[in-house]
Amino acid sequence: MREVFFMIFSIFTVLAALGVVVSRHAIFSAFSLVLAFFGLAILYLLWGTSFVSMLQILIYTGAIVVLFVFVVMLLDLKKEETLDSAKTGPLVMAGLSVWFFSLLILRALNRATYFKSTNVEAASDIKSISTLLFSKYLWGFEILSVFLLALIVSACVLARAEYMERKADQ
Amino acid sequence: MIPASVQILHWSHYVAACLFALGMFGFLIRKNAIVVLMCIELMLNAVNLILVEVSMRSGHPEGLIFVIFIITVAAAEAAVGLGIILNLYRAKGTVNIDAFRELQG
Amino acid sequence: MDLTELSIVSIKTLLIYVAFIQVVPVMIWVERKGAALIQDRPGPNRVGPFGVFQPIADALKFLFKEDPVPKEVNRLLYNLGPFLILLPSSLIIAAIPVGDRVELFGRDILLQVADIDVALLFFLSISSLGVYGILFGGWASNNKYSLLGAMRSSSQVISYEIPIALSAANAVMFYGTFSLRQMVMQQEGVLLGFLPNWGIWFQPIGFLVLFVALFAETNRLPFDLPESEAELVGGYHTEYGSMKFAAFFMAEYINLATASALLVTLFFGGWHVPWLSDSWLLLKLGSQNVVALVQVAMFLAKISVLLCIFVWVRWTVPRFRFDQLMHLAWGNLIPLGLANIIVTAILLYFFEGR
Repeated sequence: MREVFFMIFSIFTVLAALGVVVSRHAIFSAFSLVLAFFGLAILYLLWGTSFVSMLQILIYTGAIVVLFVFVVMLLDLKKEETLDSAKTGPLVMAGLSVWFFSLLILRALNRATYFKSTNVEAASDIKSISTLLFSKYLWGFEILSVFLLALIVSACVLARAEYMERKADQ
Repeated sequence: MIPASVQILHWSHYVAACLFALGMFGFLIRKNAIVVLMCIELMLNAVNLILVEVSMRSGHPEGLIFVIFIITVAAAEAAVGLGIILNLYRAKGTVNIDAFRELQG
Repeated sequence: MDLTELSIVSIKTLLIYVAFIQVVPVMIWVERKGAALIQDRPGPNRVGPFGVFQPIADALKFLFKEDPVPKEVNRLLYNLGPFLILLPSSLIIAAIPVGDRVELFGRDILLQVADIDVALLFFLSISSLGVYGILFGGWASNNKYSLLGAMRSSSQVISYEIPIALSAANAVMFYGTFSLRQMVMQQEGVLLGFLPNWGIWFQPIGFLVLFVALFAETNRLPFDLPESEAELVGGYHTEYGSMKFAAFFMAEYINLATASALLVTLFFGGWHVPWLSDSWLLLKLGSQNVVALVQVAMFLAKISVLLCIFVWVRWTVPRFRFDQLMHLAWGNLIPLGLANIIVTAILLYFFEGR
């Protein structure tokens, strides 16, 4: 059962990711991105990490991609370039570097010998995650919250610059 | 719920490699700045998948914490990135990254 | 998973799903009658006694109408829109516990499609997917009113998800679990001798925030900016006709039902009969199955009261302006929710030592 689901959804995710890259219009890229994130959430679920899976849907598909779609709608993208406009040279270069990087990832992961499946249930437990988050990784958590504050300020500045510009025009 | 015994799940870093490769390819090839941002998100998600696999196979929840951090940072990155793209669009009337060449030093 | 288990799960799913779908025709009638009552007019009274067959007539009308597809639309996304909005609202039903359990064929069957360990997060995340139907449907319609409705909807949903999540986080802190079933289990019996042991007495502010935010999440009237017919013709569903329009309509009512179910589960004791504990009921009624029946009836009664409040509010309160809507979310609900979390954390630390 789990094997079948894994195969279906890994193929589904990869195809959706392919859709992001090759879609002509940005809105189809966004749509494929939703599908890819949804497939990834199901892969997390198959690994038994339901908490992370739900976070994936809640934050990625529920908020981030909505932002993407929002911006795509806001802009007039009629003069959209397509894949055809890319020249052969960059294409080959990109392909080579991607090939190299994927080999690197696979090499590193396939040689890792430290996997021992002990205590797997505890690893996906929400309580153990949150305990770790608020003890060992407390500083990371706090820095992240300060970072988010900085983000809010910068987003406000970005939006306000445009508002001030419009006011100056009038 | 102990899926670690299911051998086929150990293939998920191949899926992650595919996602990363596709994201990187799109990042290098596409000209639409919004799609470029989407490809960055894809690469981040490939990393997340690998972290989940490593964390579940080794039995430590540390990887999941990094996944949570990455999701947070990705949300931040998307918000600011899209804000910048909107401002660039206002300045140039296009989101084609070739139009923003004067930013290079 | 053997075959009996599989068939039990599928029958259970079918029953609960069909039961929830029945909310749609009932709500159409209640809404029209309620509007008529509030506006002092008779309302639908032609089809059947008191017009109770009006929903059937409406459904037939939708079925036999022509299904127009405008010329310049993006076919794929235009046709996907209604499905994308109906699918998440139907998926959410799986997480709602409608009753405790029944004993049939020598098995204990939980009256819930899936007892998910992160049911509350599941509810939030899947309900946030509903916005894609509006977004893609509105964009693909190639109509400026639809596009405006879709854009309003996206900003509204993103803004109001935060108060909902804050309120849910508060509930998680209070109950100490993500599972909706566990939350209901903790709301059994009597509090202080005269109150039913409901969550609302412990977290009234959480209830207020969630209640207001759910209005916005379900696009109901004080916050129905995405489809405000006075400004945007029909908002995101302007270009839709026939059953596709009906799909948007159905999704709205199913969302309403699931939102009420969430409120009942978190704050009004779920399936529990007020003041009475399950063991007392079992003692009086004798059979677990009868108790389950009473519980499901209680759950439905609670949902119905909340649905009536939704209808009542819709026809009494005028629509917000968009900046007022945003100010309500970012200026009032989010600070209130954050303060609520801090107060809850402090109180829990001192009184329960968690």
